[in-house]
Amino acid sequence: MNSHELYALIIIFLVSIGTYGLRLSGLLLSGKISNEGKIRIFLDYLPPTLLLSFVTPVILKEGLAGIFAIFLIAVCMYKTKNVFLSMVIGVVTIAISRNFFN
Amino acid sequence: MAANIYISNDFINGAKANTPIGLSVFAYGAVLGMICAQKGVEIYQLTLMNAFIFAGTSQFIIVDKWNNISEIFTIVAAALLINLRYFLIGASLNSLFKKSSLRDKYIYMHLVADENWAVTIERSKRESITPLFLFGGGICLFSIWSTGTYLGYIFAGFISDPSKYALDFAFIAIFTALSFNLYQGKRNLIPWLIAAVVAYIAEYLLGGNLYIVLGAIAGSLVGVILEAKKNE
Repeated sequence: MNSHELYALIIIFLVSIGTYGLRLSGLLLSGKISNEGKIRIFLDYLPPTLLLSFVTPVILKEGLAGIFAIFLIAVCMYKTKNVFLSMVIGVVTIAISRNFFN
Repeated sequence: MAANIYISNDFINGAKANTPIGLSVFAYGAVLGMICAQKGVEIYQLTLMNAFIFAGTSQFIIVDKWNNISEIFTIVAAALLINLRYFLIGASLNSLFKKSSLRDKYIYMHLVADENWAVTIERSKRESITPLFLFGGGICLFSIWSTGTYLGYIFAGFISDPSKYALDFAFIAIFTALSFNLYQGKRNLIPWLIAAVVAYIAEYLLGGNLYIVLGAIAGSLVGVILEAKKNE
């Protein structure tokens, strides 16, 4: 094994342990403290705020097409509650914009 | 016996529910496989990363720095910073694992990715599900992700620009759709807006991926403050 392979293995090992540690410790710590009212509310707000933080910068980078795609997804979810259909509408909107309007 | 059937149903349902988002995971994996082939990453190294790290963006970081692999501290720190959100994701799964043994927590948490987490959280608001739903989704995504990386690796020369087909937007579209389903009324509006605005500004100012964690913490804190005021 050369040194490049050894370094690569060390990095893969450390990132594996660290990532698993983050996943597990979040769950275990929240189990210990979740009975307090304020932490309960905080944990309830985490899923939607994580999702929105994830998507907002990416959507805005797509410009008007991104905002239009999200508008269509909102309408589709309101009318049909179908996540798959919403995805197809979103992807097709962005694909058309990237291929024909850029 | 009946209990067993119910539990295995959760596993299958979880795998099924993650199949649409798998399209996006597949495309993302194929791109990683392509880059791995270009950078000279060996198949066994790719396999180790898929199996033990199982977090796409941090794998991209490592492979991106493949030619400067001796900078161990920098690479590990960058990869873990990106994965910091998994701490919050783990915390948000608290109620799903309420009745689980420690053993189940240790096993199921490894295959938690953004996608099966989002699908599971949304489903758990509508139906009563067990952590097996999450795990079934994890196995489904792991299979799709690995297949994507290998096919990308093998056919690196054949795939032209994948962004043309906007497959990278698929998971953004799904996450947005799922977040609409989590809306519980006007009291959510301000915390959600704060999360979006803080994430946007943080991404603009800092780059990287820290904006996800910052936006979520800001939005959730505002939620706590507003609800505490209401109860006074």
